[in-house]
Amino acid sequence: MLLVEDLHAGYGTSEVLTGLSLEVRAGTVVALIGANGAGKTTTMRAVSGALRPSRGRVVLDGRDVQGLDASRIARLGLAHAPEGRKVFGPLTVEDNLLLGAYARLPRFFGFRRRAKSDLDRIYELFPRLRERARQTAGTLSGGEQQMLAIGRALMANPKVMLLDEPSMGLAPVIVQEVFRTIRQLKEAGITLLLVEQFARSALEVADYAYVMERGRIAVHGTPAELHRDERVLSAYLG
Amino acid sequence: MNALIIGQLAVSGALMGLVYALIAYGFQLTYATSKSINFGQGELVMVSAFFSLTLLDLGVPYALMVPGGLIFGALLGLLVERTGVRLALEEKSEGWVLLTIILGLFFFSAAENIWGRDDRPFPTPLSQNPVQVFGIDITRMEISVAVGVFAIMGLIELFKRRTLLGKAFEAVSADRDAAELMGISATRTVMLSYGLSGAVAALAGILVSPITTVGPTMASAMILKAFSVAVVAGLDSGFGVVLIGMILGALEGLASFYIGSGWREAPGLVLLILALAVRPTGVFGKAGIRKV
Repeated sequence: MLLVEDLHAGYGTSEVLTGLSLEVRAGTVVALIGANGAGKTTTMRAVSGALRPSRGRVVLDGRDVQGLDASRIARLGLAHAPEGRKVFGPLTVEDNLLLGAYARLPRFFGFRRRAKSDLDRIYELFPRLRERARQTAGTLSGGEQQMLAIGRALMANPKVMLLDEPSMGLAPVIVQEVFRTIRQLKEAGITLLLVEQFARSALEVADYAYVMERGRIAVHGTPAELHRDERVLSAYLG
Repeated sequence: MNALIIGQLAVSGALMGLVYALIAYGFQLTYATSKSINFGQGELVMVSAFFSLTLLDLGVPYALMVPGGLIFGALLGLLVERTGVRLALEEKSEGWVLLTIILGLFFFSAAENIWGRDDRPFPTPLSQNPVQVFGIDITRMEISVAVGVFAIMGLIELFKRRTLLGKAFEAVSADRDAAELMGISATRTVMLSYGLSGAVAALAGILVSPITTVGPTMASAMILKAFSVAVVAGLDSGFGVVLIGMILGALEGLASFYIGSGWREAPGLVLLILALAVRPTGVFGKAGIRKV
């Protein structure tokens, strides 16, 4: 569903990604782990178009999308829940969710009615968001904002979802809740590329995993295979 | 009697101040989406007023002239965005400051060449008889200013709150990159904001022209005051610019009567300096300070 080949990208003259390749098959959860600064977030940004890659291919559902605007790639079916959540603080929770489905809703009137069933689906997954639907997103706690960021990405009915550091800055209990949510997404058949600092938890939910080192993939395999790898074990799962 | 004079001056001034508020609101629209403003906005007001006057000269009825003028203003706004702002923003440069000033100068010379340097009266279908409220005379043109200003600001605010496109506008204002990830094109949203801002400037020109006459320099004093209002009120509160605009207009009317007509420009500058000294983000502002 998502194929990345020989991706190069960076900021200014410094290249962060130096030829990264990975694949996310439909209906699977793929984890991308690695040390801080390895380029995980840069990978996500280069795939979704938030950052323009300097070289390489990104293929979304059989279509080359590298070099397109982020908004274009999003409309083609890729939803990116970015690092730091980036909810629209001054807008209400419900408006944030509606904007998640922006690409497939009417622009002027009747969008609320059209989005009703999708909204209900998200509210069922995150009852807290229903309670806070009329509140502005900026007033939510970090955990609630993360739920909103995930819900907003789901509203797009994406072909592939990128989830970047969903546990960042959250209390341990909330982190568990986030991983429960990810497991629910997996059961629902969502195709997911997950970046996580908690490598152990990420490998528990993932079908397949890539380990990044200095801008490229160092090792990859199923979680079971990675658990047998001495080097991965000591460096990331120790 | 004295109270009546003060009331008369304050009310007339405040209604005139609504025009400053409307122009300042145009600054807010583009600042929200792109953190840029058109420093040649006054020329947009003036050129649109001339264009609307030409429509009337050509026999276009008043009811069609207004939308015609607004569309023309919106197109000028889009032209400014395309030629003066977009490239600079893509390069993350502040070049739009200079470029929009240059475009303003260009519009100014173009207007002088097309329509001449003389001030011309702008006809109005409204009767010249003022309406009396508590002994204060309010001209029908002044009322039309208030109606027009509140109508367009109300419509735009309604658009932002009630339509999905409007919410997308707010989303780009809040976080441009995140909005892009939702499939919202930031570039097109910035275009929209410049189009709206141009239409708002055109309406300001159409509303004020019957009171002030139309000429190449008609907006040069007005634009300074609109800047003052935008700075004092802050660049993100529509309510703020209305309030500050009316206060400034009232102070101006009083100053020119009681101190002398040469002091008409003083209150705006005093307010501006005070605001910059005491509260640089504006009375209603929450945006951070950015030097350009």
